[in-house]
Amino acid sequence: MEKESLLIVDNLHTHFFTEQGTVRAVNGVSFELKKGERLAIVGESGSGKSAMAMSLLQLISYPGRIVSGSVKLGDKDLLQMSERQLNEVRGGEIGTVFQDPMTSLDPVMTIEEQLVHTIRRHTKLDRRGAVQRAIELLRQVGIPDPETRIRNYPFELSGGMRQRVLIAMALSCSPKLIIADEPTTALDVTIQAQIVELLKNLSADTGCAMLFITHDLGLVARFAQKVAVMYAGRIVEYGTVRELYANPQHPYTQSLLRTIPSMKGPRAKRLLQIDGFPPDMRQPVVGCSFAQRCPAAQPMCRTEIPSLTDRSPTHRAACWIEDGIFSGIAKETAPTAEELLHLPPKASFLRHQEPQDAAMPVLEIKSLAKHYKTRSSLFRKNGKVVRAVDGLDFSLQPGQTLGLVGESGCGKSTTARMLLRLDEPSDGSIIVEGVDIAHLKGEELKQFRRKVQMVFQDPYSSFNPKLTIEQIITEPLQVMKVGTGEERRKRARELILTVGLDVSYLDRYPNQLSGGQRQRIGIARALALNPSIIVADEPTSALDVSVRAQVINLLAELREKLGISVVFISHDLSIVKHISDTIAVMYLGKIVEFGPTQAIFGNPRHPYTKALLSAAPIPDPQLEAERNVELLSGDLPSPANPPKGCRFSTRCPAAEHRCKEERPELIEMEDARKVACFLVS
Amino acid sequence: MADYLLKKAAQLIPTILGVVTLVFFAIRLIPGDSTSYMAGDNLSGEAVDALRERMGLDVPVWQQYLDYLLGILKFDFGTTMVSGLPIGQLIMEALPVTFMIAFLTVLIACLIAVTLGTIAAFSAHKGKKLIDQVLTWIAMLVDLMPSFWMALLMMLVFTLSLGWLPASGPIDFSDPVGLLQRIALPLIVLSLGQIATIARITRTSVLEVLNEDYIRTARAFGTPQLLVVFRHALKNAAMPIITVAGLGFGNLLNGTVITEFIFSIPGIGTLLIGGINSRDYSLVQSVILVYSFLFILVNMMTDLIYKYFDPRVKF
Repeated sequence: MEKESLLIVDNLHTHFFTEQGTVRAVNGVSFELKKGERLAIVGESGSGKSAMAMSLLQLISYPGRIVSGSVKLGDKDLLQMSERQLNEVRGGEIGTVFQDPMTSLDPVMTIEEQLVHTIRRHTKLDRRGAVQRAIELLRQVGIPDPETRIRNYPFELSGGMRQRVLIAMALSCSPKLIIADEPTTALDVTIQAQIVELLKNLSADTGCAMLFITHDLGLVARFAQKVAVMYAGRIVEYGTVRELYANPQHPYTQSLLRTIPSMKGPRAKRLLQIDGFPPDMRQPVVGCSFAQRCPAAQPMCRTEIPSLTDRSPTHRAACWIEDGIFSGIAKETAPTAEELLHLPPKASFLRHQEPQDAAMPVLEIKSLAKHYKTRSSLFRKNGKVVRAVDGLDFSLQPGQTLGLVGESGCGKSTTARMLLRLDEPSDGSIIVEGVDIAHLKGEELKQFRRKVQMVFQDPYSSFNPKLTIEQIITEPLQVMKVGTGEERRKRARELILTVGLDVSYLDRYPNQLSGGQRQRIGIARALALNPSIIVADEPTSALDVSVRAQVINLLAELREKLGISVVFISHDLSIVKHISDTIAVMYLGKIVEFGPTQAIFGNPRHPYTKALLSAAPIPDPQLEAERNVELLSGDLPSPANPPKGCRFSTRCPAAEHRCKEERPELIEMEDARKVACFLVS
Repeated sequence: MADYLLKKAAQLIPTILGVVTLVFFAIRLIPGDSTSYMAGDNLSGEAVDALRERMGLDVPVWQQYLDYLLGILKFDFGTTMVSGLPIGQLIMEALPVTFMIAFLTVLIACLIAVTLGTIAAFSAHKGKKLIDQVLTWIAMLVDLMPSFWMALLMMLVFTLSLGWLPASGPIDFSDPVGLLQRIALPLIVLSLGQIATIARITRTSVLEVLNEDYIRTARAFGTPQLLVVFRHALKNAAMPIITVAGLGFGNLLNGTVITEFIFSIPGIGTLLIGGINSRDYSLVQSVILVYSFLFILVNMMTDLIYKYFDPRVKF
């Protein structure tokens, strides 16, 4: 039976009138959402998906304005309503869950106040009734002990808990529609799985429709029934999740789905990448916005805007080419890595580093630990000791990549800081090419820094905005007093070519570059001193899906050509699997499982590894529907107060009495892997 | 919290000691002492020496310093050197006047400035640049006018031309209406100076908060804009405003000298100026001691108010 429609958006245009020009963030979006349906809007940053969602609520702030279109909720046109009427719809008929739970709740108000305000605004309940309702809601969204929790301030709750509070708020007045704008992007994988499951169940229980905005194709496959793909302010493809994933029609969707490394099966040599960058939204639209990046673009694509046409009764795409680019090629015969491989030119000073002794690891870490003392005060003489990293052992062979995986607070970044000797370890040793660098000082420490270099997470804040790209790239050379000014300039030119940009970029400033370009600069800077190890701390997490593949491919190529070893830190399991030879899974400062990538992904042994892999969404609705996501309960314990026995015992579904009392050690298994668990033997 | 108060109290001792020492020696660097002020040209050398002995200025400086410190420990400020009046009593008479004026000034200034600043920020946020700019310009203009000039202008208009408000006369706490009339002009002059600063900081702070995610959340749940501003934005924007208002209050306690002088108000500023002019060491030392104590106290109060506005503040 065809369900009734709830929300009809017709030809919506929202523009931002900035001093640099008009940004057409939403440029003619139409879609329909039926009652109780879960629709996902997928797109990269700047695709207009959030601006579209905010337009529905008419919360576009200056200098943005809804230029034309209509938004019908039931029989009411939201765009024709007065502010007063709108305020009844907002929170009353439409609930909203925002991206960052850390900043989306008022920090100086208790949960109770915030919930009660909302409830009383939209219902006739008195204060006591509203408090009762708030407690019920908190219980419904899975907050333990809601009677006490309700008196907390947001900062006293974890990220996952805050997101649950926001969801409770969105649910508070039994809305017909919940808009969830990247509701899990700021959360850890296992918490993300909890929240997605919660939203899905709530939608089923309450019959509330959901508009789920995300950039994560895996989450869409897990969560949604219908999906709309947005690119440059327009919907380019729309359909049921199964149809769209099985048979994508638009070249953008097709490429996007292929840029994601597979979690199953052997490792691909190279990721398919979408070259180029999304278009400048200030330019008037001529033709298909994707034409510049589309390998199959025809002359017509550059002059005329394609509109959504039916590909099946439930599937529409906006592309002039009937079947899209990959339709003729079956998945197996898609362009192979070699076909797509066009390696960047090689710089003369960057020579392939032949290991002197292949058996000797380039990096070896023995019982590495970092303990922080929290500040003591007048009344508390001794501060608590936070064991951020508590005894790590691993080694890395030359030319190999080690993936360091774990959730926030597990000690990944502290480990990175110690490898770079930005922090001095409290205990243990770090042996780089046979020399223990754990406690080097002065000139020796400075010389060591040539060997290990870093690529940072946030390409927006890891460069001095007042320096040109050339100055940024040559800074390490200057610090180490390598070469003359002319030689350094020459090297900067070589480096920028090596990372696939052209020489003209050297005179620019970081703010003139896109995120992907900046991350290339970050890699060039790391390469400047020709290091033997590169530590990459979440190098792609700030980048869009289509750009991410470019950076990953670049890193992989450089490793191949230069024989550099890489320590790759990430929470994104599919990328770690793609790039790493060995994997170390960390939990609360300890490695719980360590071994070859294939072994760990093929057959995870530690319960935490299992849970992590199970929590990570796969961009395949078929697989997602079949698998049973193992949800971990609760939050990560604080590293200042870790559980007594096995650190994972508080969340482990299989924990026994012994796990809560004793600490398991890493024990070598038959297949060259190590696991720290009593239940694995 | 108790931890914090104890720590602050402990910090108070070295701070006060430092101030006392500094003032003790600094004032002795000004040429001439009280005796030369009192003696003028008429007294003979012996008479001056006798006067010096009476005032305790004949003993070595270190001994004067020790005596002074001991006096403070006993909360005994002694008498003024020149007139022989008990200093403690003088301060206790002048302090309430200054305190009242400073407090009312900050109160009035905050009420007006926060309103104006919020309106400016809200207008800027909505893209109504004209209102914002007009308000910002007015604030700047007011800020640029020297207070003594404003004071004279006010006097000219309200006292001399219109005859509405007095510009001098006794300060009588038992007659509230008369008192308000009497201090109205100084209040206006002093407030104007504060309003400009507080309004500017309010505008910046509120404008920043209005772009925060939780403001969007409140709006997305149907809270009307005005309520959003008052319930969410102002409370979150309060910290810098309190800091500036607190500093202003501290300065007003100490620095209303010119205004007090123009409106002949027997406040603590007047007392201090008199002391300096007559090289009355004891008086100056004591007034500054009280000043620094009050200043520290105001800072502590500001910290405690932070905690009220933001539960995340930890001491």
